[in-house]
Amino acid sequence: MAVKIIESCVNCFACEPVCPSNAIYEAKPHFLVDSKKCTECEGDFPVFQCASICPIEGAILDSLGLAINPPGSLTGIPPEKMAEAMAELQSH
Amino acid sequence: MELPVLNDAPASKGGCAASSCGTTDNQMDSLPDSIREKVQNHPCYSEDAHHYFARMHVAVAPACNIQCHYCNRKYDCANESRPGVVSELLTPDQAVKKTMAVAANIPQMTVLGIAGPGDPLANPERTFETFRRLSEEAPDIKLCVSTNGLALPDSVEELSKHNIDHVTITINCVDPEIGAKIYPWIFWKNKRIKGVKAAKILIERQQLGLEMLIAKGILVKVNSVMIPGVNDQHLAEVSRVVKAKGAFLHNVMPLIAEAEHGTFYGVMGQRGPTPDELQDLQDSCSGDMNMMRHCRQCRADAVGMLGEDRGDEFTLDKIEDMEIDYQAAMEKRKVIHQAIQAEMDGKRLEKAEKAQLLKQEPKLTTRPVLMAVATSGQGVINMHFGHAKEFLIYEASPDGVRFISHRKADQYCGGDSTCGDGESTLQLTIRALTGCEAVLCSKVGYEPWEQLEAAGIAPNGEHAMEPIEEAVLAVYKEMAAAGKLDDAKDSVRASA
Repeated sequence: MAVKIIESCVNCFACEPVCPSNAIYEAKPHFLVDSKKCTECEGDFPVFQCASICPIEGAILDSLGLAINPPGSLTGIPPEKMAEAMAELQSH
Repeated sequence: MELPVLNDAPASKGGCAASSCGTTDNQMDSLPDSIREKVQNHPCYSEDAHHYFARMHVAVAPACNIQCHYCNRKYDCANESRPGVVSELLTPDQAVKKTMAVAANIPQMTVLGIAGPGDPLANPERTFETFRRLSEEAPDIKLCVSTNGLALPDSVEELSKHNIDHVTITINCVDPEIGAKIYPWIFWKNKRIKGVKAAKILIERQQLGLEMLIAKGILVKVNSVMIPGVNDQHLAEVSRVVKAKGAFLHNVMPLIAEAEHGTFYGVMGQRGPTPDELQDLQDSCSGDMNMMRHCRQCRADAVGMLGEDRGDEFTLDKIEDMEIDYQAAMEKRKVIHQAIQAEMDGKRLEKAEKAQLLKQEPKLTTRPVLMAVATSGQGVINMHFGHAKEFLIYEASPDGVRFISHRKADQYCGGDSTCGDGESTLQLTIRALTGCEAVLCSKVGYEPWEQLEAAGIAPNGEHAMEPIEEAVLAVYKEMAAAGKLDDAKDSVRASA
């Protein structure tokens, strides 16, 4: 039972100090979670602390491998609108 | 200590505040002496000083505790110049080293700011470690910090312990309903909070932090991002509230939003204000906005004079090899600062005298004119048209000369590697000068000369190395004498 930080992490440090179990550490190319230490905040907080401050959608996965913050949930940008904008940019 | 409220009486709308009129252009006349002393050599506050003194930001604060719709936390780019963008993150130790390296190599550097790329006060250990060490090891450098305000009340005590010159709070609204359209979420008391509730907490914390700083006697500047259709109508109210509480300055900046930045506003097509809209709001917010018209919305790791970025000269690997004797550097800096101070004082005096002379001359009745100026500093016209990365825009009128704003140019003459695409970039530069009727620079090439003339912008290389305001006034008088200003040219309004 542990969360996982994946490559879309931007290394902003926000999650590291809020982890109640000190399970998050700086690493290259991005921050990582020590799965032995991570408790998914159980007993400390009702919500994942790291995923509650993380600004990047999809950067933190739960133990099932699902994004805790799915696309559109943080920025408010509808995923299709984002895809549209990116496709538009790439066509230039 | 209660700071006096400035500019209670709004400057006449559309006109210029009396204090900035004439060639004296002293934008700080309205400030009490104690504050003026603190800010008159600060490149960010004094239009005058920004021609002479340099600033730098160190990117030690990556984490943020809120999300703003104009920010994208993924952004990391060497070529973009806007807030929140950096190339490399520094540890406090590296930041101290970099600051001292820059201070020793660019003795005009007077100010060190921590402005991100996240929120400095959401990274209190890294931010305060940097400040603590710099106040000990480089005591001749002014320190400043900017924040979104959420963590501010918890940091006021610590801020008051360091040599902090002033604090900037970004306050975009005082109404949670408006805030909900700007801030999608905040991280507060171990939870992510969204919507109006989040905005309400953020606003309360910003206002409390502002009051606490004022109570401690720390100078507070307020920044607002102008977002058309979201908070543009509301910012006059923000201005009133923050000034009543004692903020010494309110700086309204235009929203920067492009789809390629990947921000909410960029992707959703929210537009930024036009130069006219920005100027109208700045004029209506009151006279002291004049102090910030030269604001460049710097990157969180900018180095050098405003409008330039010498960050590349001070990357981590480069500063690693630099041997810095800071004591010796400090002596040298002191001498140079005194010389600059003497030069600025001399020029201020000269300007005041010239303004007196101007008053005695019969007053012109001609219409105002906008002119663009290419300069690399020292308050003189000393840059080649094709080398200018930006132009300063001045308004000349029968009342004198006033600085209006700066406009970015697309450098069309970047040397061999970028040539080939020259013509279209020249066109872009000329478009950036729309509304100007003359451009003053040290030299103008043949090709741009013709195109500028064709675009109705008179190129002028006759005032190289002359003080900007004098040259602008001289050109204005020539235009008036030549009868070019008799028509009430209604298509061009004095704006930037």
